[in-house]
Amino acid sequence: MKAVFKYKTLYFMMLPILAYFLIFSFYPLARGLAISFQDYRLIGDRPFIGFDNYLRVLKDPVFWEVFQNTIVIGAGGFIINFFLPLILALSLNEVASAWFKKMTQMIVYLPHLFSWVVVGGMWILLLSPDTGIVNQIIQLFGGQSVGFLSSDRYARTVMILTSGWKEMGYTCIMYLAAIVNINPSLYEAASMDGASRWQKVRYVTVPMLRSTMKVVIMLNVLGILRLFDQIFVMSNGAIAKKVDVIMMYTYQKGILEFSVGPATAAGFLVILATFTLTYVTRAVIRYDEG
Amino acid sequence: MVSLVKRIKIMSAIMAVSLFGGLLAGCSPNAGSSSTQEGGNAASQAASNAEERTLKIMTGVIGGKTPEENTQFEQEIERLTGIKVTMNKPAADYDQKLLAAIASGEKFDLLQISKEKMSTFIDQGILTPLTDQVNGSKVLSDPNVIPAKEWEQVKTKDGEIYGVFTKYQGGTMPIVRKDWLDKLNLPEPETLDDYYTVLKAFTEQDPDGNGKKDTYGLSTAGMYELQGFFSAAGLKQRYVETADGKLDVPYSTDAAIPVYEWLNKLFEEGILDPNFTTNDTGKMRDLFLADRVGMITYWDAWVGMLNNTRHEQDPNTEFEAKGLPGAADANGNHMLRRGDPDVWVIPVNAEHPKTAFEFIEWWHSEEGITLGSLGIKDVDYTVDNGKFTLTQTGKEHASDHGVPFWYNRNVEAPFGKLPGVQEAQDLVDQYAALEMTPSHWADAEKIINEHSFKAIMGEMPAADAVKKMREALKAGGYID
Repeated sequence: MKAVFKYKTLYFMMLPILAYFLIFSFYPLARGLAISFQDYRLIGDRPFIGFDNYLRVLKDPVFWEVFQNTIVIGAGGFIINFFLPLILALSLNEVASAWFKKMTQMIVYLPHLFSWVVVGGMWILLLSPDTGIVNQIIQLFGGQSVGFLSSDRYARTVMILTSGWKEMGYTCIMYLAAIVNINPSLYEAASMDGASRWQKVRYVTVPMLRSTMKVVIMLNVLGILRLFDQIFVMSNGAIAKKVDVIMMYTYQKGILEFSVGPATAAGFLVILATFTLTYVTRAVIRYDEG
Repeated sequence: MVSLVKRIKIMSAIMAVSLFGGLLAGCSPNAGSSSTQEGGNAASQAASNAEERTLKIMTGVIGGKTPEENTQFEQEIERLTGIKVTMNKPAADYDQKLLAAIASGEKFDLLQISKEKMSTFIDQGILTPLTDQVNGSKVLSDPNVIPAKEWEQVKTKDGEIYGVFTKYQGGTMPIVRKDWLDKLNLPEPETLDDYYTVLKAFTEQDPDGNGKKDTYGLSTAGMYELQGFFSAAGLKQRYVETADGKLDVPYSTDAAIPVYEWLNKLFEEGILDPNFTTNDTGKMRDLFLADRVGMITYWDAWVGMLNNTRHEQDPNTEFEAKGLPGAADANGNHMLRRGDPDVWVIPVNAEHPKTAFEFIEWWHSEEGITLGSLGIKDVDYTVDNGKFTLTQTGKEHASDHGVPFWYNRNVEAPFGKLPGVQEAQDLVDQYAALEMTPSHWADAEKIINEHSFKAIMGEMPAADAVKKMREALKAGGYID
């Protein structure tokens, strides 16, 4: 208490932040939690029904289908979004021309700035079976046109790769920023020991990126179950069963069917799963150990 | 210190997760409150005669086209009815905003919702039954204002009426390029085989005359509107109730196999637009308008709008869109789809239910229809000696402020209907019926779509696709 009094100005400065989180995060969260235990009607009585909404969701085979889709697409995206930016950053670090390096960085970062409405629409066109450039290239080499977004054989892969394509530049910048901060004397010492370029990358750069990798892993883990925008834009009737994710399920239940109770219960299951996933990941990667 | 850092980090993780949860759950600050709201209706009933003539309305498509025009729309209602109106008309995401508004405790006297949403609201017990008021209304019980059989569309199983039509809702059908038919000397198709001949000719005989093979016979927006072809097998889209009272999906029966095989033939031969799975309706319309496709499956009203759009661009165009009755079955019968109507509903907590009903009656009068179609006097149109003239704004708004078409036979459209619409509407009147959409439709639709697409794209023989579709529907409890 003494410390609080001593640093009262600092605590006072924290108040608006605390108020912000209390009002816009914790209050809705508490309300949402209450709704998930209610037989929710838009108007009128909303009796508490215990875990009925949760049981209804957990017994719904559709929920488990979308859960499986979420895990597959989320895990695929997690892997792609971890390795691709790392490889890109390491490659860019080896590029001698500053102009080329900056240009490449800008090009790969650009998709991150666009919403999924733009990026999704663009990929739908690019992958179109008749006029899409991807299929035109395939046909140029004598291949058959592929319905990338109309066949469930390719749908999940397309979702994973396009997600990787969009976010690669953003994560790459985090790695590049960390690479810039690596002490040059480490490279000098490696050179004196006769290390090749590859050995410098392997034994200096990559180990020094460990902390950044942990941050990237944590950020990606937090996003695994939150997939929505991309699927909402790029899904269609032909592939919905293979790509619809949990957030689409909550959207369907809550907004389209106005079944707010089950939708909120599904939402809290996502929160619980994300919390568990985050906790386990933190423990596995020893996030707190620098 | 280490443990403090650790705690802060854990708190950060919790906050991150909570933020996400907040997004999910933040729509309802009034979640816990409850029973107090239900008293609203009773209070309103008691004060009915002394009710203030004011209304708070939430609508999706009715009103002005811009926020400014929406304000003028409110003023126009007040000028014409004496009712002071506040209209909430979100620019997008209507259902989402409707849910957020109601759940947050905001009270409305009138809501414009689809029939599908109305069923959900009835299940939640949040709508005022209007059966007695409708039956007692001189205006609404007049079959010239709303044909008696139309009420069946909005009646519940026990015969209650909770919603009153906001407009005449048409139906869907195959829409063909009549000028292409004429150019290729083809008759209007009747049977599924005729349709194949026409669509194949559209693909292969260069109907646009540009010397390139760059046209498709048919384009659709997914499985959205294939009723006109399943008509050949006498199969209705979505659900039907069988003679023994069971729920069934006709598209999952063996009778549907030949239609899937026919669609697969179109796909394999490049007659069906290969982008049909990813098309939205806008893309489908654009293809039709851009001479890339000879037939689409869409709403009757769009027959006129498509014709009008091309004629606005080029008054000398030969472009002619025409609605078709769909493929005839073995007995020569056709089956089209009637769209779910939009309705006015009065929530149980409405503060001015009497005025709300008075407004609904007025909405079906000549003044109400003129406002809902042409728009606002001296903004969208002017009247000189009884002669209506559209302003530039009115032309841009295409005589649609939520009511492009109406039931009331006593009210003539001042500018007539766009070319081809009346014929298309006649087909709907003659052949279309409302489809049945149970509450679990969204889940069932995924199964139907998945297997239908596989059959159409040849990833699975149609018979297998139908078999698997049926098994999946049964396993999910979506059919009896």
